[in-house]
Amino acid sequence: MAGLFQVLKGSADGTFKKAAELKGTDGEPLIIPIKDEKEQVQNICTRPTAVDWDGDGKLDLVVGNFAGSFYLFHGEGKGQFAPKPEVLMADAGPLQIKGVHSDPFVVDIDGDGDLDIVSGSSNGGVQWAENTAGKGKKPELKQFVALIAPSADVPYGQPVQEDNIKGPSNSTRVWVDDVNGDGKLDILLGDNVTLVSPAKGLSLAEFKKKSDEWQKEFEQATRINAADKEAAEKASKRINELYAARQKFVSEDRTGFIWLYLAR
Amino acid sequence: MRRTFWFAASLLACASQVGGVEFEKPVRLTAGGNPIRVESPGYAAPCWADVDGDGVKDLLVGQFRQGKIHYFKNLGGGKLASGEWLKAEGATAEVPGVW
Repeated sequence: MAGLFQVLKGSADGTFKKAAELKGTDGEPLIIPIKDEKEQVQNICTRPTAVDWDGDGKLDLVVGNFAGSFYLFHGEGKGQFAPKPEVLMADAGPLQIKGVHSDPFVVDIDGDGDLDIVSGSSNGGVQWAENTAGKGKKPELKQFVALIAPSADVPYGQPVQEDNIKGPSNSTRVWVDDVNGDGKLDILLGDNVTLVSPAKGLSLAEFKKKSDEWQKEFEQATRINAADKEAAEKASKRINELYAARQKFVSEDRTGFIWLYLAR
Repeated sequence: MRRTFWFAASLLACASQVGGVEFEKPVRLTAGGNPIRVESPGYAAPCWADVDGDGVKDLLVGQFRQGKIHYFKNLGGGKLASGEWLKAEGATAEVPGVW
């Protein structure tokens, strides 16, 4: 089931146990509680980070989700967590990234002695929620600002080849550590990218011509009055046909890379 | 030699500066001489941790497909070994719940 937390317990010999659901102190699988299906974006695509957030000496879980908000499961020691989380707040409202798929990494990124939160996003880039409380105090977060701005979008359907990519794309996942051993915190960033090239046998010029024609037809098909049900159904059918036709001249390769930002 | 890779990266111009934190332009990581990439449909998620207990942190990369995790041993000098799937109880580790 999506939204649960899995643990691969490590052994002293460097091996791991198979993934097992993390349970709360009530014995039930730990999960962000929701009232109904409309709230499901709160408890799917969860991304946990284990850290002593409240400074009580026990590991807590700071958790991101599809909605882009954050929850805190209080640790009760020895890998046990209270089943009811609290929503993390910032500037008197829920802490929320720009975009969706919050991806918390908890670290003192600005070196002022307290724990901040950095996050990836569906939008790409890295966002930073500064903790202004100071060392040893209850965290007080500010809302997110861009720490690393998202890369410029590549126009849909245009060729995107591996060697031409100069930075991360979207759906970023962040890790912070001193990767090169110089005493400064660096950023590792995973992404999601669709490499686009002409289908086999097509030249780049032929691909571009077909792609431009397709784009015009697509724009025409989507220019409808949504209130007109018959027109909407007709458009939906046409859009599906267009996507099928697109596969004849486009070769797509979906993947993700790892990028390193060294601290200066 | 140890710092060759990092030095090359640091020659690039500054990419970001917020709150006194500055970063160089991004460098795509390689392992075994090839760019690290995950299986379709993508969604690479990195983790930097000492998996093999040799005192040096290694790279782990999670992916969407089957919830599998690639392990790249840190060889030192800015180099990573070719990846292998992280194992759990002798089989490729998978995190369920990824569809």
